[in-house]
Parts: sequence; C-alpha cells; structure tokens
Amino acid sequence: MATVTSAAALDAGKTAQQLLGERAKRLQDALQLKQPDRVPIQLGFGYMLAEMGGITRQELHENAAKEQELLEKAALEFQPDSAMSVYNNPASSLAIGGDRMTRFPGHGLPPNGSFQFVEGEYMKPEDYDDFIADTGDWAVRKYWPRVFPELGGLALLPPLGMAAFGHYNLYNLGVIQAPPVVKSLQFLAKAAEAQAVADARAVSSVQRMAALGFAPPTFMGALVEAPFDFMSDTLRGMRGIMLDIHRRPEKLLAAMDKVLKFELEHAIGWCNATGIKVTFIPLHRGSDGFMSLPQFEKFYWPTLKAMQLALVDAGIMPFVFYEGVWDQRLKYLAELPKGKTSGLFQFSDIYKVKEVLGDVMCIAGGMRNSLLQAGTAEEVRAETIKLCREVGKGGGFIMTTGIGEMEGCKPELVKVWVDTTKEYGVY
Amino acid sequence: MTNALVEAIADMREEDALALAKKQLADGTPPLEILDACREAMAVIGRRFEAGDCFVPELIMAGEMLKQISELVKPKLTEAAQAQKLGRVLIGTVEGDIHDIGKDIVTFMLDINGYEVKDLGVDVPTAQFVEAVRDFQPQVVGLSGFLTLAYDPMKATIAAMRAAGFTGQVMIGGGQIDDQIREYTGADAYGKDAMAAVALAKTWIGA
Repeated sequence: MATVTSAAALDAGKTAQQLLGERAKRLQDALQLKQPDRVPIQLGFGYMLAEMGGITRQELHENAAKEQELLEKAALEFQPDSAMSVYNNPASSLAIGGDRMTRFPGHGLPPNGSFQFVEGEYMKPEDYDDFIADTGDWAVRKYWPRVFPELGGLALLPPLGMAAFGHYNLYNLGVIQAPPVVKSLQFLAKAAEAQAVADARAVSSVQRMAALGFAPPTFMGALVEAPFDFMSDTLRGMRGIMLDIHRRPEKLLAAMDKVLKFELEHAIGWCNATGIKVTFIPLHRGSDGFMSLPQFEKFYWPTLKAMQLALVDAGIMPFVFYEGVWDQRLKYLAELPKGKTSGLFQFSDIYKVKEVLGDVMCIAGGMRNSLLQAGTAEEVRAETIKLCREVGKGGGFIMTTGIGEMEGCKPELVKVWVDTTKEYGVY
Repeated sequence: MTNALVEAIADMREEDALALAKKQLADGTPPLEILDACREAMAVIGRRFEAGDCFVPELIMAGEMLKQISELVKPKLTEAAQAQKLGRVLIGTVEGDIHDIGKDIVTFMLDINGYEVKDLGVDVPTAQFVEAVRDFQPQVVGLSGFLTLAYDPMKATIAAMRAAGFTGQVMIGGGQIDDQIREYTGADAYGKDAMAAVALAKTWIGA
C-alpha cells in the first residue's frame, strides 16, 4: 500500500465523467482479479435510504422518484464507487394480485417492515413426475394458480403440449375466452406492464447515477439460483427439500438437471440481449450447517459448478452471493476458473476466504453490518484498515457490507468506513 | 428388539423404523417402551448433530419418523408419558421477522436435551413475550432473528421483559447476530448455533 492520503483530497476537482471512468475501472479491475488504484467500495444502501430520508420502507419501494432522489443524495454524500437502493421490487408482485411467497412493507407487513420470503411447500412430492416430464406445463397450469391467487384461471388451459398440434389445436383456443382465464391473463398483462416500467426505471437510475459519476453496481445482471435452491426456495420449501434428500434423491437430482438447462438458457439469453455480461446467483441452502459435505457434493455443488462453468464459457461473469457461512466449503470454490467468477461473502471468515480464494475470484464483502449499527468509530476504522491491508492485498477485493445492504447502519459510521477505505485502500 | 428400532431411526431408515414399530406394537411391546426407543434414537441423532455428523435433513427426517410413530402408538397409550423436564425455555422469533428455521432447530435440540420449550412462533410482538414470561415462568428466554431488522425488536423485547420483572437469562441467535449485537440488545449471551443454545441452557439451568 502507498502512503496514506486524505479521502477528500483523492477525488477533488474531478468531473463526474472522470470519476465514472475511474470508478468503473476500479471495480472492473477488482472483478478481473487485478490490482486497481485503490480498493473499490460499493454501498448497497437498501432500507438505509428510507431511514436517512425519513420515509417508510413502503414508500421507498413504491415511490420511484423519491427512491432515486434519496439514492443520489446518499451517494453524493458518501461518494462510494457505486451505490444501489433496495434489490427486490414489489411492482409486478402487486400488479399480479399478490403472491403467496413474498411479503413487502405495507403488504402483509407494517409500512416499515422488511421484505421477506415466505417459504412453503408450493410443490408437493407427488408433483415431481409432472415437473420432470414437462416443467413449463406444470408451472403454468398447476403452480401459478397455487402461488398467485389471481392466476387460478390458468388451471383451465389444456396441456401446453397441445400447442404442438398446430391447426388442430386452434379448436382448443375457445377456452381462452372463459372468464377465469381472461381474468388471469389480464393480471398477467398488468404484471408485465408494471415490470416493464420498473425495468425502465432501473435502467434510467443507472444512467442517472453514471451522470453523477457513479459506476453501475455489480449486483446487476440476469438472476438465477443454484438448481438446489431453485427447487427449495420457491417450490419444495426447506422442510420438503430436506426430506427429498432422504426420500426421493433420484427425483430431486433429475429435477435439478432440468432446472440447470433452462436456467442457463435464460441467463445466457438475457446477457446476450442486454449486453450486461453478469449473472447474479444468490445462494441459500449450500451454506455450512444445512447439509453434510457428502450431501453437498451430491446435491448442491455439481449443478452449481456446472452452471458457473457454462456461464464463464459463454463470456459471462457469475456474481455469486455466498450467503451464510462457507468456511467448510471454500475448497470446492477453489475449483472454479481463476479470475472468471466473483463472490460476495456474508458471514464467512473473510480472511480465510482471501487465503483460500484470493487467486481464484474477486471477493466482495468484509464489513459486518452489526459493526456499522452498534460499533464505535474507532472499531469501524480499525476493522476497515485490517480489511484493506489483508483482504485488499494485491487487489481482487470489493469492499461492501456482508449482506450487500445496509438497513440500520449509522450514517456517521458509514462515513468513517468509506473514508477509511479510501485512505488505507490505496495501492 | 428395541435397539433395532433405535438404529433404524438413527440411521434414517424410515420404512424399516415404521415397520418395526408396527410389528412391536402388534407383538405386545408396551407403547411406552417404543416411545423410549424413539427418545433414545433422538438422543443419538442429537449427539451426531452436535458432532457435525448429521445435519438439517436428518433432524427433519427424525422429526417426521417420530411424528408417525407417535401417531401409531398414541391410541394404545393409557398413561401420560411425560418425562421429568430439566427446566423451562421460552423461545420465539422477534417482531417483524418471520424466519423459523434456526428457531425450530434450537427448539428441537433443547427439547431432546430435556428442557420444556414453549415456542411462540415468528413475528412475536414484545407484549406477547412479556405475557408469556409471566405465565410460563421460564428460566431462560431465547430470541431469534434472521434479519438485521431484528436488532431493535430484540433490544426492546429484552428491555420490556426486564421492566416486567424477568430475572432469568436471555440468549439471542440468528443469521446476523454477533457479540456486538449481544451488547447492543442487552442479552446475556448469543449463540452461533443450536448446540450453543443447549450449552447455554445447561450452564444456566443445569443438565
């Protein structure tokens, strides 16, 4: 590391365009496992924006103009390399008439609640055969009516495979005029419209931030999950999937093979269509503590590794959120191609992560949310210096909070954290 | 014969375990003996869980087998099979947080280690904890939370229970909990996992 420089002096007198160029390069260098000019810092403000702006979390989710205003204000105040607001957006979920697997502030939660998933056994054990035989048909006609109350009419549709009957299938189209089907399709259209508006806003937000000198966040990209989590999170639920490991392992493995194929087709198609060659993969049940290493080797890692390798082959960088603790599983991650993937680590021992994976992937994370909420300025400063020196060593490190978001963090501690990163993160 | 049932449950052989339990019942084995075998098997699984030899899939499977065997046995039970409990633990996920996995594992482990556990569920308001502390008279309260938003409700719940005169111990746990948050919330201790919760209960209440 070079000599310590005052944080304010570093960026003084630069135009937004200069800053954008430097910041984007800083993040890109880190992602490519190179040594940037200094440790990049990304602030996923999340609900902290509502706290700073004195509005409810519900308003943050639902008032896009206000959300953008608060994001810009916070980014200009703290001057990170990149900044983002909340990740999940309720627009399409509300427009589709609600879904049973999420709760947003003001919708099943108080206006200042925090977005959460409601796990359930939305796919039953007896659904496996249909899921494996024809996932799309099962999803549209059986699963959607279960999880989206207003899409019940889709259960009336004939098997989607009948679409391959060409002219003859036209004689089946009358059912689409049935009132429950019409109503469901209207809700689907409303959700599509709401999502398109949200997408356009997301793009314009990135552009606005770029005009102010902030690089696009690394959380962008196509969204997929490890096939095991895909089967667990929105389908079988925690209890169901854990029983499947013992009761129907072959079906679970067969289902995951199918999931891997269409998730890859989706992610590669999305990245090619948008030109954003990043795929975000948040992980859940692969963390230490849920399953044994032999179970991990059989049920979790093979499809997650295959997914990452295929994305890399397609020129796409997986940005993987290793949520929970991965301390016992780092050796598997070391099998990934060097410099081609990146990982955000929530609660793993970040120093051990650096030791094992420092030459394998760009590491994001490091700062504990608890420290930014309940620590002192001295503690934050000391921890930041240690992170810069040890995890930042040689590059390949992006400073963020471990969960990538910052609800409850104290602004004065965030300032200490950002400024210290700029001072001590200089290479 | 009973040992075979213990082994079948502990080794996750569900069909064997159920078939054995049915056969034993038909052969006239006292229902309480079958339930004792289940308890023994749960203790084996608990020890394996502590040793890192079995994990969540096995805990959930064990719970399933126990449930099915209990249902088989129940109609033939003539007396209550309540074992003497070591002490009372009140547990719940604090207000605003609806995560239950960690809490359920802690409840399971405390239960098989001999504690009477009252589980208030998820998204539990402070007032409900205060009321339950008064009615259930626990020696230990465990507060769970997965989100960072759990910090303040934990702090408020502990303060309210103390103000209402609760003098026992409070432990907290969950995804975002560390010693910093123990101090912030005023809890007596935090635990990284279910075994830590059991160890704390043993220290505070006795084993």
